[in-house]
Amino acid sequence: MPHELPLPEPWASKGWKAKIFDLEGPEEPHLTVRFRALKWRISLRSGAFLDREPPGRDVPPAVVSHVHDNLPALVIAWDQMFPKNRVLSPEPEPEGVAGKSRTKESKKRRQK
Amino acid sequence: MNDPVILLAHRQDIDAPLRGLHATVVGTRDAVHVACSKHRHGAVWIAPRANLFGLFLGGPSVRTKDQRLLVLEGLREQQYAFLRTMFRVIVPMDQEVRRLPREELLEVVAMPNRDELFIAGAVDVGDGVVTLYRGNLEPLVVPLDWFKASGTGVRPDPADFEVTDFGHAVRFGDYEASTHAILYAHDPKYRTRAKARLLEQDKSFGGALRRLRILKRLSLSEFPGVTEKEVARIEKGAVKKPHADTMAILAKRLGVKPEEISTY
Repeated sequence: MPHELPLPEPWASKGWKAKIFDLEGPEEPHLTVRFRALKWRISLRSGAFLDREPPGRDVPPAVVSHVHDNLPALVIAWDQMFPKNRVLSPEPEPEGVAGKSRTKESKKRRQK
Repeated sequence: MNDPVILLAHRQDIDAPLRGLHATVVGTRDAVHVACSKHRHGAVWIAPRANLFGLFLGGPSVRTKDQRLLVLEGLREQQYAFLRTMFRVIVPMDQEVRRLPREELLEVVAMPNRDELFIAGAVDVGDGVVTLYRGNLEPLVVPLDWFKASGTGVRPDPADFEVTDFGHAVRFGDYEASTHAILYAHDPKYRTRAKARLLEQDKSFGGALRRLRILKRLSLSEFPGVTEKEVARIEKGAVKKPHADTMAILAKRLGVKPEEISTY
């Protein structure tokens, strides 16, 4: 079931919707805001618009503010729906990933 | 560029949603024949009613390169057989094809990005596929088992299917998949356009690998033969050029060719 963010009036009555689908694109975690056949995606990490088109300025500021106000709850919803593309910690990292040393396996492969 | 839209209708039958298409209207034999000659490379034909197909008879063949037809009414079997001789794609409105409500559908067809939205679809449980039709009537076939359960355990129900949200989503029971996710995974040209639209893009190979892995809902540890650490290092860009053997393992697990990974 998608996670729907109820929007304030008058925007809800005018047909504005905001939701996280059960299956989303692989970009950074986001919420999709839609008005009729137009859609905008807002990052749950930064609160910024993900795409250059259509322009973010076309979304009513009250809708954007409402999304920003609800980011903590949206982050929880996203992380439950997409545990392999989490908002705050992308994925538990194995130890030593940040370092520059090669893994044993990759070393072995290169020695072949 | 979008193909032209041709409305096969009498002018008196055109209501406000149809007018919103800003289409070329053809409602006489001569007008149909002129349109067939003019748009030999391809067009989207829309027939609000299924009563004017006889107008094609006696003129130049419409069976040229890429003609597609959307009929907003049900078709008789004989009509379908006749139209199949002329159109590469026919989207009929029968019980098996679930479509957007008429006004939403026509609004999507009128959009400049109609090829990025779905207007209709049909589930074939026997073959395990769903055929989705975009606003330009181009079909896309997606295996049903590609739609994985969400992290909250919601599973798609193919028996309860519809296209929804002005073509931005498809619904299987309680489960909704975004059109963007479907096209991103199954249409390389769409993927290229979608990546170009991003305000900030990670163009690295690691970024592409990460997006594809997320799309396939795999974790770092689900690549037998490549350690979790190594996958993470590749995604972070710590490994500039993965070894060919590693690439082969990654690609096989992700279900793509090695050279395709960077397109995601």
